[in-house]
Amino acid sequence: MDFEAGEIVALVGENGAGKSTLMNVLSGLYTPDSGEILIEGQPTRFRSPRDAIAREIGMVHQHFMLIPPLTVAENVVLGLEPRKRGLLDLTAARNAVQKTCQRFGFSLPVDARIEDLTVGSQQKVEIIKVLYRGARVLILDEPTAVLTPQECDDLFAVMRELAASGHTIILISHKLREVLAVAARIYVMRRGKLVAQVQGSASNERELAALMVGDARPSPSIGSAKRDRGELLLEIEDLHVPGAQEIPALRGLSLRIFAGEVVGIAGVDGNGQRELAEAITGLRPWTSGSIRFRGEKLRNPSPGELRHRRLAHVPEDRLSRAIIAPMTVEENIALGRDREPPFARKGLIDFAGRRERASRLLKEFDVRPPDAQARIGLLSGGNQQKVVLARELDLAPRLLVVVQPTRGLDISAVRAVHERLLLARERGAGVLLISLDLDEVLSLSDRIYAIFEGRITGELGRAEFDEKRVGRLMMGAERERPPRAPSANA
Amino acid sequence: MLEVIEAILFSTLDYAPALIFAALGAVLSERSGIVNIGVEGMMRVGAFAAAVAALVVPTGAAVGAGMLAGAALASIHAYLSIRWRSDQVVSGMALNLVALAGVTFLLETRYSPTGTPPIAQLQRWTVGGIDGVPLLRALSGHSAITYLALVVPAVFHLALFRTAAGLRIRAVGEKPLAATTLGISVSRLRYPTVIGGGLLAGLGGAALSTATLDRFEQHMPAGLGFIALAAMVFGRWTPLGAFGAAAFFAGGNALRIGLASSAPRVLKIVPQGFLLALPYLLTLLVLAAQGTKSRAPASLGIPFEPESK
Amino acid sequence: MGMFPSLFRAALPSLLSIVLALLVCFIAIAVSRSDLSIAANAYLQMLWGGLGDVPSFLGSGNWSLLTRAWGESAAKAALLTFTGLAVSVAFCVGLFNIGAQGQMTVGAIVAAVIGAKVALPAGLHPAVAIAGAAGAGALYALLPAVLKVRRGVHEVISTIMLNWVAVSLVENWLVVGPLRATASGDLSRSGTDEILPTAELPRLLGSLSRLNAGFPLAVLSAVGVWFWLNRTSNGFEARAVGLGMEAARTAGIDVRARVYQTMAFAGALAGIAGAVWVLGTEYKFPATLGAPYGFDGIAISLIGQNHPLGVGAAAIFFGVLRAGGTRMQLLGVHKSFPELIQGLALLFVAGRLIWDSVLRRSAKRAVPMAEVPRA
Repeated sequence: MDFEAGEIVALVGENGAGKSTLMNVLSGLYTPDSGEILIEGQPTRFRSPRDAIAREIGMVHQHFMLIPPLTVAENVVLGLEPRKRGLLDLTAARNAVQKTCQRFGFSLPVDARIEDLTVGSQQKVEIIKVLYRGARVLILDEPTAVLTPQECDDLFAVMRELAASGHTIILISHKLREVLAVAARIYVMRRGKLVAQVQGSASNERELAALMVGDARPSPSIGSAKRDRGELLLEIEDLHVPGAQEIPALRGLSLRIFAGEVVGIAGVDGNGQRELAEAITGLRPWTSGSIRFRGEKLRNPSPGELRHRRLAHVPEDRLSRAIIAPMTVEENIALGRDREPPFARKGLIDFAGRRERASRLLKEFDVRPPDAQARIGLLSGGNQQKVVLARELDLAPRLLVVVQPTRGLDISAVRAVHERLLLARERGAGVLLISLDLDEVLSLSDRIYAIFEGRITGELGRAEFDEKRVGRLMMGAERERPPRAPSANA
Repeated sequence: MLEVIEAILFSTLDYAPALIFAALGAVLSERSGIVNIGVEGMMRVGAFAAAVAALVVPTGAAVGAGMLAGAALASIHAYLSIRWRSDQVVSGMALNLVALAGVTFLLETRYSPTGTPPIAQLQRWTVGGIDGVPLLRALSGHSAITYLALVVPAVFHLALFRTAAGLRIRAVGEKPLAATTLGISVSRLRYPTVIGGGLLAGLGGAALSTATLDRFEQHMPAGLGFIALAAMVFGRWTPLGAFGAAAFFAGGNALRIGLASSAPRVLKIVPQGFLLALPYLLTLLVLAAQGTKSRAPASLGIPFEPESK
Repeated sequence: MGMFPSLFRAALPSLLSIVLALLVCFIAIAVSRSDLSIAANAYLQMLWGGLGDVPSFLGSGNWSLLTRAWGESAAKAALLTFTGLAVSVAFCVGLFNIGAQGQMTVGAIVAAVIGAKVALPAGLHPAVAIAGAAGAGALYALLPAVLKVRRGVHEVISTIMLNWVAVSLVENWLVVGPLRATASGDLSRSGTDEILPTAELPRLLGSLSRLNAGFPLAVLSAVGVWFWLNRTSNGFEARAVGLGMEAARTAGIDVRARVYQTMAFAGALAGIAGAVWVLGTEYKFPATLGAPYGFDGIAISLIGQNHPLGVGAAAIFFGVLRAGGTRMQLLGVHKSFPELIQGLALLFVAGRLIWDSVLRRSAKRAVPMAEVPRA
């Protein structure tokens, strides 16, 4: 790739395409295995972020590196403080910040504390920070993820200003509409490779989405035996769930899940899937709307209550949310059901019963090594996930919510997990599959809901599956008619 | 009536410096993110070292010995907490226990079980001109440490909020990762603050044995280090706040003692025990009211692990 | 339980810390007296003081030479066990209970009152007093738990504050005020009224020593805590909360309930320490609690690696040392010398990672150590 002074170049691609990795190399956080970086024709090697800063490259991360109780001026000059007679020259600091702001058309309250600023303003502070240190190449990683539409417009104005004064802006984003609005050139990445380069003015969302998602690959449809749908397990209506930093994560989401089907949620990371899973499983409250499980309206349910009603959950973040690493495999299997037989009897742990159940499950799920007393932290990721699945499926759940079930797993582990999910479906459970891996969603689901910015943008039955179409729905490039009752046949 | 207030003011100014310096020492250390439960122990060794040194060197220099003793203890805490990422509460508690028993051991071995021999207290200075003014004259006749205790908090406050070093200390205490991305070394900042905290706590201890009293008494500082922690929390981890809280607590204590001698009937209504418990109860109320919005430095107590590539 | 080699390896940092502390203190005496033999003698006196004057016993056959020491050691070991358990139980759910001192104080005063003012038959009296003390300690420990769960107040600060509140209110108000011992004739006595004879914890060896029922109670409690932790679902859930709160919550465990219940349990144990102290050796609440048993509990718990059996072992070890400390005075070493050993041992344990890296050079695979868990 190449970048010229004074232009805005965007980098787009699906989850896992490699965009952030590439930019982390450019900003000095990672070292590449091969290839080279040339700055003004000179081959350059970065050993740390400080090297990159010295070469006038500044990165504005998705997660801000700001210190909340300190002021804007203090955050900007930290580490490069102007001094006067031994004391911090706050006036000089303020002036420097003001000057930079004015030059690029921002306005920031220089003495305000970061924690009192809106997210949009905080982002501007990050940009000023980088400009203060003399950056001429600015990398913005998903800058609009947390901004309101108004703040996005402000940001674009800033980007144009910066470009006009000779800076280079590299914009990483999923939001095709925005990318097309500001970028002169757009690079499209897929699976770690550059696949296309288009002119911003000459392209459109459909084309970009198609390039990102690629040609239709034969989706291995595993076991698409026609089933009749069973009872209505989960009915969500107009759900509003708060997210981080007072931006709502779900803004009126509705969907339905029936017994005997796999429902997939396709969406780009950060569009509300996580919060949806947490709301359904009792880990996050909702502010309005309703969730009905098997006909009954849920009211601030606790995770324990829901498990009791046979709603199982395989969370993402396996290490922190699904397993307790220092405990043994059989103890992890007992988690949550540790008071009932076969794990306990009258409050006392039933070691024999627990061991027996654990051994049986380990064999059934082909966990290696099949040692119930091994510390689960020592197992491979794939085997850990098998244990988690074993635990949840042993509940004989009516509804199984799985989030990112195969992240970080090798091929055989992935296959094993997929088989289990389909088996659950065969046994009459409903499966809610939330995954950032579109292939996975497409190959397993009977129906797909596309989610974008906290709402369902479309619903497709298996017969209508079309990667490109799903891609467009996921990226907000196309809006279906408002979701109505799902079609009669799966 | 006026005499009573004057007397209370005078004794407050005598008792407060120890608490003030200890509280400032705690603030310094905790502002950079290192919990400092060991203030009690640092005061104890400071008081002891000063009282012992004053037997052979002029008392002024002996105070320096007290400060060094506090710093020595603090450097162990710093080494364990920063280099080895030990649990900071455990390390602090351990140092308290070691200081408690160790000083007792040294006291017993070399002197008498109740305390060290008397020394020449720090000279008291008279502030000219206000001797005739009622109330104000309570400000005169104190040792240098007292006057220092009135000045240092302001200086410290200025340093913390108006110098580059202070800015970096605050940054490191809130979000060390952000500071690292800007090229600031977290450990290089934390060692001096912890050891500096020890110097101040040692000074507080020395104040007890060279100004407030004229020797090291076996129980010193008798829980004062923990009141200093309360003052730090109550004062929201700022030097001026800690100063105010410490002065307030010391004043309350002086008031309590004053009441005991001059108006014992008041104590029949409000028992001494309640008054003694008051600083701690107030601190708890403040903490409970603030809830999760407490002003404690955000990275307090969390050992910092430098990111590895 | 685990195989002995792995148990040994897990205990190694603690054992090494104790050995190192003993060594350092030995050198301290030797240096301060410029005489190695005094140091050796002092240690020997400490040993005899704690385990019994073995040479004199062998010479005279007088059992009381042994039993007296056993009684003292057992009395101290019992208190250290209870406070140590109070700290380690709280660690199970990831909370640092610095408040054992305050919980013990409130437990002690309640036991003193029930012991002195309530008339009950001999079998029931101590039991009721102990139960009252346990309840008081439990309630007092719930305060910081609630503050933590509902207001996010860090338990280290709140328990330190509450310690002093308890001490101030009990020792500086109740004991010298409403609960003060009634003067008899010209004598005014310090502390509270003496407890009724029916409330006293029975002496197990009669007049041979002060060994009372507190010690077996302590041993039972340690076993009880072990049982709770390893054999009951309740303890299992508490452990899960301490080791992985998020995963426990996601899996459906009621985290709040476990936290409250476990802290109450911890406080109850500390409260029982107070009761045993009052009903077993003091027979009233004296003017002051005297020793910082609560803080010692922290040291004992950490040296014992927060494991009930480790706590028990450390408590017995240091109980013996401390009982023996009184005899060291004969050689001019202050009787609180064992506290110095204890403090140093804790300091060395605090440098746990140092031990880890030292041991890792010799072991093929280090047994993972439990860190001080934090909720």
